[in-house]
Amino acid sequence: MVDSNKWGMVVDIDRCTGCQGCVVACQSENNIPINLEEHFNQRRAIQWIRIERYWEGEYPDVKARFIPIMCQHCGSAPCEPVCPVYATYHNNEGLNVQVYNRCIGTRFCANGCPYHVRFFNFWEPEWPESLKNQLNPDVTVRSRGIMEKCSFCVQRIQRSTRESERDNEILEDGDRGLNPACVNACASNSLIFGNFNDPDSTVSKMKEDAMQEGGRGYRLMENLGTDTNVIYLRKVGESVVEAPHG
Amino acid sequence: MALSRRQFLTLMGGSAGAAVLFQACGLPEKELLIDSPPAMPEDLVSGIDNWYATTNNQGGSSEGIVVRVMEGRAKKVEGNTNHPLNLGGHSALSEAALQGLYHPDRITAPQVRTGPRGSGEYREISWEDAIARLSSRLGELDSSNENNKAVFVSNPTGGHSGLVLEKFTDSLGSRHLSYEALETNVLRTALKAVFGTDSIPEFDIDNADLVLSFGADFLSSWVSPTRYARGYGEFRQGHEHRGRLIHVDSRFSMTAANADQWVHVNPGTEGLLAMSIMQVLSSSHSNAVFGDLDADGVLDSYSPVNVANEVGVSVDIINQIADDFSHSEHPIALGGGSAGAHTNGTQNLKAIYSLNHVASNLGKKGGVLLNPRSPIDGVGAAPPSNSFSEFYRLAEEMKAGNVSVLMVKDADFYYGMTDTADMKVALDSVPLIVSFGGMMDDTTSVADLILPQHHFLEDWGTDVPLAGPGYQMIGFQQPVVRPFFEHRGSNLGTKGFADILMATAQVMGKDLGLDGETFKEVIKNDAERLYELDRGGIVANSFEGFWNGVLQRGGWWDTSYKIDNVPEVNRLDGVASPEFGGLEQEFYIQPFISTLGDGSAASLPWLQAMPDAISTATWQTWVEINDKVAGKKGISEGDVLEIRPANGRTIKALAMPNPAVPPDTIGIPIGQGHRDGGRYSAGRGANILSVLDSKLDSENGSLAWAATRANVTTTGEWIRVPKFENTVPEFPRDEHQDIIQITSGDNH
Repeated sequence: MVDSNKWGMVVDIDRCTGCQGCVVACQSENNIPINLEEHFNQRRAIQWIRIERYWEGEYPDVKARFIPIMCQHCGSAPCEPVCPVYATYHNNEGLNVQVYNRCIGTRFCANGCPYHVRFFNFWEPEWPESLKNQLNPDVTVRSRGIMEKCSFCVQRIQRSTRESERDNEILEDGDRGLNPACVNACASNSLIFGNFNDPDSTVSKMKEDAMQEGGRGYRLMENLGTDTNVIYLRKVGESVVEAPHG
Repeated sequence: MALSRRQFLTLMGGSAGAAVLFQACGLPEKELLIDSPPAMPEDLVSGIDNWYATTNNQGGSSEGIVVRVMEGRAKKVEGNTNHPLNLGGHSALSEAALQGLYHPDRITAPQVRTGPRGSGEYREISWEDAIARLSSRLGELDSSNENNKAVFVSNPTGGHSGLVLEKFTDSLGSRHLSYEALETNVLRTALKAVFGTDSIPEFDIDNADLVLSFGADFLSSWVSPTRYARGYGEFRQGHEHRGRLIHVDSRFSMTAANADQWVHVNPGTEGLLAMSIMQVLSSSHSNAVFGDLDADGVLDSYSPVNVANEVGVSVDIINQIADDFSHSEHPIALGGGSAGAHTNGTQNLKAIYSLNHVASNLGKKGGVLLNPRSPIDGVGAAPPSNSFSEFYRLAEEMKAGNVSVLMVKDADFYYGMTDTADMKVALDSVPLIVSFGGMMDDTTSVADLILPQHHFLEDWGTDVPLAGPGYQMIGFQQPVVRPFFEHRGSNLGTKGFADILMATAQVMGKDLGLDGETFKEVIKNDAERLYELDRGGIVANSFEGFWNGVLQRGGWWDTSYKIDNVPEVNRLDGVASPEFGGLEQEFYIQPFISTLGDGSAASLPWLQAMPDAISTATWQTWVEINDKVAGKKGISEGDVLEIRPANGRTIKALAMPNPAVPPDTIGIPIGQGHRDGGRYSAGRGANILSVLDSKLDSENGSLAWAATRANVTTTGEWIRVPKFENTVPEFPRDEHQDIIQITSGDNH
């Protein structure tokens, strides 16, 4: 048991198949507006977690690589100091949180975010009446003019923390009620979520193992000094660009 | 003072940090947990949620799911951690079931057609009236002894729904055909020949060290992708040594993208390559299995030198694959998808699966585990689908007036047949078409009578997976919410499919011989037989306890009930060369499944908006074309292309060049181009299936859906491709800070 929590994630891109199961799970959990064709055409589709696809080489020596990217919940987040109304701030559990009813839509935070994980609601989100039955009552529907992004499913953290306190139980590492929706959906176990302050948690052990000399761990754009709470594990394989074969 | 960007950010961060710190001093700790309005004290919403286990076998692959229900509404789907196949993970298709449940275009009550066929003009009628209409029409056929004039076409339906359907069609003396757009029929024929059983075995990818796959996009769409992705994660990083994936395919699929080695072959030559690998192994290793497998000496003619040219792969690569295969401790060979979609498809797959005999991996860890029979007699996995040649015959019978009632459930063959104009003529010749569709699809849109079935989240059922876990199991499906249209009263709204059939039979005075008055009773009574087996993972003192356990866990399975005996090795047949329609056309068409399955998921907006893994395209039909070839032809992304096979039928789709497409191939996703199917799918994109040549598998008459060639011409039009790529700005390129970092070697 630890006094405070620092939530974080480990993403093993060697396990990731690029199936997008996490993307759809996130849309469902977090009441993300339906991305219609015109939203893609305007480049205004919203995905709190996305799979980026990178090309290497060309036919026949070609590779496509996939990487899931979501808010990195930076320890030194460039998005936080630029918000004039403290809509985005760092909470005491390591989360970079967005308070929707403070947000006035300056979009400074999106400009500041090097990971491009913040999305602006250019439109009022709309659902046909019957589809509203699916919306998650634990998550606010964001209106037009509001910035939104991955929250590590803070509603799940809150609910499971509250319930474990109520029932006087210890919230276990890897609890399905605590895990963000993307983590539970991932069939290949590429995404692992947990408490970095707990030295016995899976993420802590994986991080320790991965970040030592010769380990597979790295942070996205580590040179920016953002001190992210998401650790990536390197893909294993050969690069076709640096060492073409065949 | 000159301020660098970094210093500026540091200062800004510092001042804001101080502000937050200052705030934190004055506020109680709990206050900082206020993150979003729902958690605010004044409107704290903290309803009680319940999670119910059920089974999703829509689209043919089985997944155990749990559904979060709050105040009577389904809110979220997650994988069932107990379910042997997906162990907690779940697919986007399962998630999107929620949108099927609450789809705005669901049919809310039985309908009878009032306008011309296809006009969409219907009048609502009561269930009593609807069932009376169906039963009286079927009764007329029965009394005039023209039983064979009623035909039931469904998707391959197993479990108890399949049982009721079979009893119903038997009682009518009518024929029942199973339809699926992309047939597992070929796969099952080949498996039967090689392993002696037509159920799809469990591939223990988790514990394999080499997976050699041919054409099967098993990480994306083939058979049971969630289960295979689970295995893939362990295969890569779950053991001391990382598994190696070699993928042989004529298209660069998602599985090819994940492979360590993508071996591009000419379309339809996968079986030749498999034969050649076996030839290398038989000549270089003494393996007793070849005495049985190659008793006729057919392998001799498939040496790498003989086939390399036709396959399009060098002799060295064939030798290297054979070498890798023979030096692996736990290799698996699997194949399907486009490898089975040629005129020689069955032969290709037989050769591919025979590699497992060479590896002697049957029944072994990290190998191929055959599935035992279902624990309940008469309730099995879905039967094999009927081949396209049988459906062509059905169309001829319809045209000749030999089908007077056509009943259709979840089988949109008007959409999926190759020549839909011809199918329309056939359907127009049928006096009564009855659909059990809960949503409009192309076939339902020409129905005269619609008896809308429940969504699967509202209905009972069982599921014996076609691709089981290697031991005996049966998944249970229970209603997780009350029917959404319940408020319309018992004479309107939707009903469970099996209950509709049982009610119709009752009105007709037919005894289906089922043990129960309702579908739930039938299932529960059979569950009692499971209980009496007194084995499996659910231990209970009473049947009620057992029943609750089965529903809570989402099914019953007995991990110790396996198949131990290894099947006999059958002799290898030769593999013929593939034949193509329109050899003079420039490109091979490679239809592929992207996010919409065979088109049945096109009505679900989450899946429409889910980016294709390779192109990131959404909501449209696009054409994958090699970027250099496109450059030479002056084709750019978004150019509207006309696809022209030699058969004269054409479709238009948007150009989407990428660097991985083989120069002689175009890839086109299946799933769009519906006439009907609700607001999210009707009239969107184009249907590639509708222009394919009617080439058939030489052994079982299935559609050779990858055997069409086509010319591509530009139309001069341009439409922006709705895609996710570039929705967010590109990351800056920094050679020391790659976004995707790669390490070589086997370290962790």
